Amino acid sequence: MTLVTLRGSLRFRLLLGTLFWIAATILVAGWGLGSMFRQHVESQFHAELKTHLDQLTAQLTLDDQGRPMLAMSLSDPRFNKPFAGLYWQIDRLVSPGLPTARAVMRSRSLWDQVLRVPADSPASGEIHHHRIAGPQGEMLGMVERVVRIDELPLRLIVAADEGLMIEPVARFNKMLWLALGVLGLGLALAALVQVFVGLAPLQKLRAALGRVHRGEAQQMEGAFPAEIMPLVEEFNTVLARNAEVVARARTQAGNLAHALKTPLSVLANAAGGKDDALARLVAAQIEMARRQVDYHLARAQAAATVGLPGVRTPLGPVVDGLVRTLRRIHAGRNLDLVVQPIAASLAFRGEAQDLQEMLGNLLDNACKWASHRVEIDAAIEQDRLVIRVDDDGKGIAAEQREAMLRRGIRADQQVPGSGLGLAIVDDLARMYGGQVVLTDSPLGGLRATLILPAVQ
Amino acid sequence: MRILAVEDEPTLATQLAEGVREAGYAVDVAHNGLDAHFMGDTESFDAVVLDLGLPQMDGITVLKKWRAAGRTMPVLILTARDNWHEKVAGIDAGADDYLTKPFHMEELLARLRALIRRAGGHASAELVCGPVTLDTRNNRVTVEGRALTLTSHEYRVLAYLMHHAGEVVSRSDLVEHIYAQDFDRDSNTVEVFIGRLRKKLPPGLIETVRGMGYRLVNSQ
Repeated sequence: MTLVTLRGSLRFRLLLGTLFWIAATILVAGWGLGSMFRQHVESQFHAELKTHLDQLTAQLTLDDQGRPMLAMSLSDPRFNKPFAGLYWQIDRLVSPGLPTARAVMRSRSLWDQVLRVPADSPASGEIHHHRIAGPQGEMLGMVERVVRIDELPLRLIVAADEGLMIEPVARFNKMLWLALGVLGLGLALAALVQVFVGLAPLQKLRAALGRVHRGEAQQMEGAFPAEIMPLVEEFNTVLARNAEVVARARTQAGNLAHALKTPLSVLANAAGGKDDALARLVAAQIEMARRQVDYHLARAQAAATVGLPGVRTPLGPVVDGLVRTLRRIHAGRNLDLVVQPIAASLAFRGEAQDLQEMLGNLLDNACKWASHRVEIDAAIEQDRLVIRVDDDGKGIAAEQREAMLRRGIRADQQVPGSGLGLAIVDDLARMYGGQVVLTDSPLGGLRATLILPAVQ
Repeated sequence: MRILAVEDEPTLATQLAEGVREAGYAVDVAHNGLDAHFMGDTESFDAVVLDLGLPQMDGITVLKKWRAAGRTMPVLILTARDNWHEKVAGIDAGADDYLTKPFHMEELLARLRALIRRAGGHASAELVCGPVTLDTRNNRVTVEGRALTLTSHEYRVLAYLMHHAGEVVSRSDLVEHIYAQDFDRDSNTVEVFIGRLRKKLPPGLIETVRGMGYRLVNSQ
């Protein structure tokens, strides 16, 4: 399928739209949930740091020599394990008589390292947050506050490895994206199923239309959803109306023929018995009128049907009917009418009566010209229906054949109506985009090849 | 030989009847489908010329009803509707031949002769029985090459016997096939025609089968 047909496909458009929205929704949801969790973990991290800081503050006191000491060591065991990722440190700030001293006290976890805290002095009651490099190069989240015990300003610091916070976030994110991925896949699959199941009637509609177009069905058959059914019904109505119009056109043409030809018969018979100039004139004019009526009626009837969708005529039954008829009509002539087996799949993309008219005239001509044998053969060649009618008569000279296909010229004045027959056949065939080709027959006479559109 | 001509257009019906009568046949005419069906169903005809577009009952229906009832006389359809669809329908309904309007009377008569001949199982237009030859194309009868002059009724009697040569033909059969319906029929006149024919033909050709009728025998 090319991109153009893809873009024109309803399924493709629906699928593209749905998949786009599924992807967008999942991305936004993933980002939103991820950042919410991160915020939660971050605030928990800071709350924990503050708890430790509060504990440190509570345990801080001065010994009898005025040096800071802890009344009780802090409860979290990680403070005692070297480089466990949780640290505290107490700095002495500048005060009258004493210089700044870093790490006057620190947790065991710091071992011999000192936290490099930015020079900063939070006011009383303030807690400052910082991010600093840890003893092993890792990033630490840090809180500090300044307390004064007996006018001695001390900076209390608690820090923790941010990895402690990042690790659960990463684990959560991994699980989150996995879950969202599964959800997205499920949704995409559901969208796919919905588009294909939901649009299945359209596919069916297309198939039904195809059958009508190929002439395999007269109407669009099957039940369709309520949204499509009116369209199908409307289309079927149009098809039925077409068929009705054709039938009416045929009937009217037939009525006209009847209305014209009976008076012509009366005239012909009245003039027939005599042999004077008037009688000959009447006879000639009647013959001309008959040809004109035949020719234009055949054309008018065919014109009503050419190009209608849903018309398909299997070849076999038409040939059978015509052969049956011709055998009866030519029963006195001891003719051998041989039909080569015709595959049941051979069908003409057009109306039965038009096929009957074309084939009937060809076969009748062949029967009139043949001395003993007429052969009919049909096949699909290069996607066209090719019907060959051979006879073993005298044939037609090559230079006369073109004239035979033109209107109203008779090759053999002895055989009534033969010239016009071929002209009508060629005319009808051309209206259907086909033609008649006249060549020499292997039987010795004429081969008339009728080429018509086939139903594949 | 007796023909039923079915045609609703009065002028054409008259022309048809005249043309067929001039060719030596007895003719009955029907102007609508119901009459045609009744006549064909109850009388004996040697052939029917049937128009298809008839009032009251169309020609195809009439034909189908005859065939369904076992009437086998040859039927020539005469119609203005000359497309092959109708020809096939006509033949499938049981017609034997098809002629479209406007037509030449000669062609119609030629087709009729061929149908009657085929129905009797004769291949040639000339019927031969011993020294007697009957040419159906020009209604000429010759005995050993010598032309014979016959009245139209004598000709019809002989023609019917020749078409059924070797078979016993009853007097009522002859009456049915040589007279049209409206004719005053008298089976005694058949005996008169037979008597006259015997005088004109070689002796022993027309045999009387006691209590049954007549038979044409090949005496040589």
